[in-house]
Amino acid sequence: MKIVAYHQPRSATLAPLAAYTGRAPLVAFEREFDRLFNTAIADMFTLAPELGAGSNRFAVDLFEDKDNTYVRAELPGVDRKDINVEMVEDYLTISGSRKGFSADGKASEAVTFSRSVAIPEAVQADKVAAAYENGVLTVTLPKREEAKPRKISVEVK
Amino acid sequence: MSLLSSIIPSLNRTQSEQAQDGSAAPTVTPRYEIKENPDAFGLEVALPGVAKEDLELTIHEGEMTIVGRRSWKKPESWTQLYRETPLADFSLTLEHDNTFDAAKVHAELRDGVLRITLPKAEAIKPHKIAVV
Repeated sequence: MKIVAYHQPRSATLAPLAAYTGRAPLVAFEREFDRLFNTAIADMFTLAPELGAGSNRFAVDLFEDKDNTYVRAELPGVDRKDINVEMVEDYLTISGSRKGFSADGKASEAVTFSRSVAIPEAVQADKVAAAYENGVLTVTLPKREEAKPRKISVEVK
Repeated sequence: MSLLSSIIPSLNRTQSEQAQDGSAAPTVTPRYEIKENPDAFGLEVALPGVAKEDLELTIHEGEMTIVGRRSWKKPESWTQLYRETPLADFSLTLEHDNTFDAAKVHAELRDGVLRITLPKAEAIKPHKIAVV
């Protein structure tokens, strides 16, 4: 026979069940399983795992009107000076790094990301503008008639 | 299909049961991270494209809800060539056990990331008791 110390349950140790007082306990399990599965499925299919260690893919949209081509990229929590926007021939490359966060607010290891988007129309590379607002980068690329291959670095405002 | 629904329990529910969960309008769950230090819990939620005035943070008894509406709408003249970002609003509901001080919660939205600091309630912090 073994003697095991008995620990009086505290509210913190009873946490998951305490939230469901007055409800059937199975409902609690069901909801917890739903949450776990939904998270797992979202992780499998998501295009933009913005946060989390090692994730470096981000969602990109491409729009156009008669004068410009627009690229929008979801880059939440990135410092403006850590974003590089580069136009090389017909490709717009958005790259940079995001600092992770630990519980005490100190920055941890940085995650780098990079993505190239093929721009369908020839671009006046010297007139490309970029703006960053609410974690979304919008690059405006004015169209032009004929394309000349060259490399331009674009300043992010 | 029956195999899949036996693996994923929420597929087995009827529509009305799911609607009771409050998931009527299509929403996406944002990426989030929960951290902890001796004094507080930290919650970090990625909400790209959500402005401060479109964010709603509600702390109920045992539950916390974050709803972020996307303020940006595609201008009429723009033609969509390729799209990856979802159109649906963000919605995240997290359950908690009331172990933080709701009056001292601090939330900050910057560059599409919401950071919430939830100071731990005195009752769950470890106490050192001086022996006389």
